Amino acid sequence: MMKMIRTAAVAAATVLALAACGGGGSASSSNVNPTGEIKPREISWLLSRPADGAVINIMKQIAADYAKDHPGFELNLITTPDRPSYIQKLETLAAANKLPELFDTDATPYAQQLAKQGKMVDAEKLLKDLGVYDNYRSNALDYQRFDDGSLYMIPFQFELEFVWYNKKLLQQAGVAAPTSLDDIPAMCTSLRNAGITPIALNGQDQWPLERYMAYQPFRAAGPDFIQKLKRGEAKFSDPAGQKAVEWMAALGKAKCFQDGFSSQGYSDAQNLFTSGKAAMYNIGTWELPSLATDKLNPTVRDDVDFFTLPTTQGSVTAANEYVSPSGIGMAVNAKTYDPLVSDFLKFALKKYPAAYAATGALSPTVDAQTEIPANASPLFTKALDQAKDLGGQQAMPWDTQLDPTTNGRLQQELVLLVQGDITPEEFTTTMDKTIAQNAPKFFK
Amino acid sequence: MLPNRSRLSVLIFLLPPLLLYGAAVLFPILQSLFLSFFSWNGISDMEFVGLANYARMLFGDDVFWRSFFNALGYLAICLVLQLGGALLVASLLASLRRGREVVKTLYLLPAVISTVAIAFLFVRIYSIDPVGLLNQLLDWIGLGGLERAWLSDVNTVLAAVSIPEGWRFTGLYMLIIYAALLSVPQELEEAARLDGASRWQVFTKIRFPHIMPVWITTTIMATTYGLRGFDIPYLMTNGGPGQSSELLTTYMYKTAFTSTDFGYASTISVFIVVECLVAVGLILFMLKRKADA
Repeated sequence: MMKMIRTAAVAAATVLALAACGGGGSASSSNVNPTGEIKPREISWLLSRPADGAVINIMKQIAADYAKDHPGFELNLITTPDRPSYIQKLETLAAANKLPELFDTDATPYAQQLAKQGKMVDAEKLLKDLGVYDNYRSNALDYQRFDDGSLYMIPFQFELEFVWYNKKLLQQAGVAAPTSLDDIPAMCTSLRNAGITPIALNGQDQWPLERYMAYQPFRAAGPDFIQKLKRGEAKFSDPAGQKAVEWMAALGKAKCFQDGFSSQGYSDAQNLFTSGKAAMYNIGTWELPSLATDKLNPTVRDDVDFFTLPTTQGSVTAANEYVSPSGIGMAVNAKTYDPLVSDFLKFALKKYPAAYAATGALSPTVDAQTEIPANASPLFTKALDQAKDLGGQQAMPWDTQLDPTTNGRLQQELVLLVQGDITPEEFTTTMDKTIAQNAPKFFK
Repeated sequence: MLPNRSRLSVLIFLLPPLLLYGAAVLFPILQSLFLSFFSWNGISDMEFVGLANYARMLFGDDVFWRSFFNALGYLAICLVLQLGGALLVASLLASLRRGREVVKTLYLLPAVISTVAIAFLFVRIYSIDPVGLLNQLLDWIGLGGLERAWLSDVNTVLAAVSIPEGWRFTGLYMLIIYAALLSVPQELEEAARLDGASRWQVFTKIRFPHIMPVWITTTIMATTYGLRGFDIPYLMTNGGPGQSSELLTTYMYKTAFTSTDFGYASTISVFIVVECLVAVGLILFMLKRKADA
């Protein structure tokens, strides 16, 4: 029996060792223009986007057009819209060295490790080689960059995040839209006193609450804060960090979010706002079709408006600088990059912007004019117009910046902080300790 | 004793399931054991770290211990609901004269509903805004003061995620125990009654000792299932708020697939295997001692 166990252990070790050896990619990440014959075949794109959304529909169409001239070509789109499940799938495939030709990822520390190992094609060189680099909005590309400025993902969207609010409910409570982030806790108290839920929050998905954490430091110390924080060079106990911690605790104390927010999901939060029960709701332009068209509940349609992220006193970032993500990006697998993939991308990236803008969405490029849908309300145009006047800096969502362990812990501790289950001091100690433990492994 | 030829054929027939079991259960366990001595994130080089992962788990990880004690709490609630509930219902069922099949089916129903559906169902039941079934009921019976967001309150969330799991399998264990109760010889019970034994005495002196072997199996099944509990807490709260409903299994899963710390996650999984073995050993030991006494 002992001998059998030993044999099995050795077998396990061998398999793992072989798997680990297979890890290194042999292709170069900087050769963006491979030469040779284009041999049509099926290629796959592993993505995390809505199954029936604009990106997938358009890419399907573009792939069908490309296949007409290249018989045998097929684009296999495999989507996992639920982000945590998607990330697990991606990481498992990466560990098995089985990534498909194209795959989605945010500019996370993990993706940066993949890039460093030469597993992704340099997107900046690729876009320049295709002659489309200058068409992209600089904010859209910056969102995809790693901290060292390198670019390995191609954006397919461009979104702006606003705080949507219900004018009538604010009026009922006798408050105005906030001019400073610091006004919000007091505003919540007045709204609660008037029997209104101040802010609808999707607590289940965790990133929405984490957004709030990013706001104060972005205003007080600019986009650098999170870059330093994630490496352990800045701390939650620093003034900018403390401002955020205290503010989150104040939001919780003023009962800004609906009761039991931590177990409520995306549509619960949106329904709370669109049914006129909650006064504010923080969401991006991807929800324009439901918030700024005649699809919006008629009882609130005339009362809805939005404001951009308020500034604070002494803010180092401007009012026109806030969260403007270009969505999850698409990376090109260096190992499977060949003349076919290159040629298809050339074909697709030139056709994509106009087709995407025609769906009423903001293209990540500046060369395509967004078509306003027929059922849009004036808010739709107002929202799109904000994109014309954006500053050079943007608030990065923290969930794409922190190492995954710290990020998970932060999301958990934030709920406790806002619910008043832990004090700001406890929160600060736990989080600083967590970063000190986990950051060095990820950012060596 | 089987003749030689037939013993050989029995062995041959036993071999495929044994191989399958080895490949599907033993091999991954050994693989985890192996991985637990390494630091590896799936794409980095595997670095041998010796017992560092074990030291971190036992002495340097507050979330691990929190999850461990949560898992014990979860197990306790599940066992009380599943075994206690099952025994109670099965005993009542055995004394029922009509409609046994209907009651049995009704109790067994939750076991066949998909886990995801159960999780969503209970999220709605516990909800406060909009008001869910539980809070509504409390309000109706005049206990409005107890209304709360059951899944957001750090004091109630562990019980709130354990109850659906307990509720779900009560029917299944009830069925097993009910079958055992039916096999208790009627003559024995009648003789005891004639001797003046009360219902309670009949139960403790005759019925329960008789179903003991089945009870042990059921307890072992329920305990190992309880220790492996994962899906309902993961779907309902994802371990939150904070780590209030984090179990060892959900923590291990997150460590592996969110933090991509496969080495450390393997260490936790080795702990879970040991924990299950210890639990089963303890049950057998305690029951044996009781039987000997």
